[in-house]
Amino acid sequence: MDPVERTVKAILLAGIAVSVALMAVGLVLGVAHGTMLPRAMVSLSALPSALARLDPAAYVTLGLIVLVVTPFVRVVGSLVAFAVERDRAYVLITATVLVVMCLGVLLGRA
Amino acid sequence: MVVLTALLLVAFVAGVFGSMLGVGGGIVMVPMLTLAFGVPIKTAVATSIVCVIATSSMAQTSFVSRGMTNIRLGMLLEVATSIGAVAGGVTAVLVDGRFLQVAFAFVVFYVAWQMSRRRGDVVPVQTGLLEAGYYDPASGEDVRYGVRRPRLGFVLCLGAGNISGLLGVGGGAFKVPIMNLLMGAPLKATIATSNLMIGVTAATSAAIFYGRGYMDPYWVVPSALGILAGARLGPRLAARMSARALSLTFQVVLAIFGLLMLLKAVGVPV
Repeated sequence: MDPVERTVKAILLAGIAVSVALMAVGLVLGVAHGTMLPRAMVSLSALPSALARLDPAAYVTLGLIVLVVTPFVRVVGSLVAFAVERDRAYVLITATVLVVMCLGVLLGRA
Repeated sequence: MVVLTALLLVAFVAGVFGSMLGVGGGIVMVPMLTLAFGVPIKTAVATSIVCVIATSSMAQTSFVSRGMTNIRLGMLLEVATSIGAVAGGVTAVLVDGRFLQVAFAFVVFYVAWQMSRRRGDVVPVQTGLLEAGYYDPASGEDVRYGVRRPRLGFVLCLGAGNISGLLGVGGGAFKVPIMNLLMGAPLKATIATSNLMIGVTAATSAAIFYGRGYMDPYWVVPSALGILAGARLGPRLAARMSARALSLTFQVVLAIFGLLMLLKAVGVPV
């Protein structure tokens, strides 16, 4: 594997591991509360306080957020790896993908 | 509990096929959730999008290690698919949704027919462009290949991203044939690369669906866990299968996609 491939693989593995661990914590807390799985996600603004009071829904939500954010982090990671390799064309290409992804989220379209 | 176990199993199977073929498995999750589990369509679509991300991330850990993913080819075409997806809203105003669904079905049938005429994989050619190579455990050979027609592939990926952005599905169903039939990359490399690409558009969609409150952890969590398990197995199967068998499976799944889209066009919530 070249450095870009190694970076991509490491980020994806870490993302999956953290996500599954957080969902598992949420499930265990849910079983302890006798609620199993929550029926709604916690909003971003309410997330820190909900995490602090060990709300199961908050941990499940954070786990799913980590899963969803992982491809974004993967793109950022490959951008850095291309930059380290001084591959200008691919720094530009990857930066374009990242900008379009963020634009999609801001415009509410994808 | 019975429902959750059934959902885990369904997601596992979707994860195996989605990762094995580079199509994400979302298109199978939506009808399963709406028709078999009675999940509202928007919740089902939100769930399937998370499933596509899970498939993409998990499958990559295996495909990248095998050297089958062409990251540079993927990144280049992601520019096209992501711009196409963001522009989906513009096209939605111009074209009737039902027309698009029927068009999708016929394009998919046409692609399946083209693949079936080929009777095997493309012959790898060294073009000097985006060259890559991997070891194919099925044939026991090192495969080296280059890419042809980058401009046409890029333009068609704009269209593929646009349509999948509009219909919410079907990214991989077009990306694999574009890279394979048109750009000349071997099937296994295109499946691995498509797997990498589908995560990008799905992550953008998922962020939007989360913001709008369509994510229901009750359906998303078991689906994601089942998918993750399935997507560990899928790439191993893809690597070991002969390109011929893989192509045949892809054609069958394409035909199913086309039929589902025709059902959708006549109003069945799939």
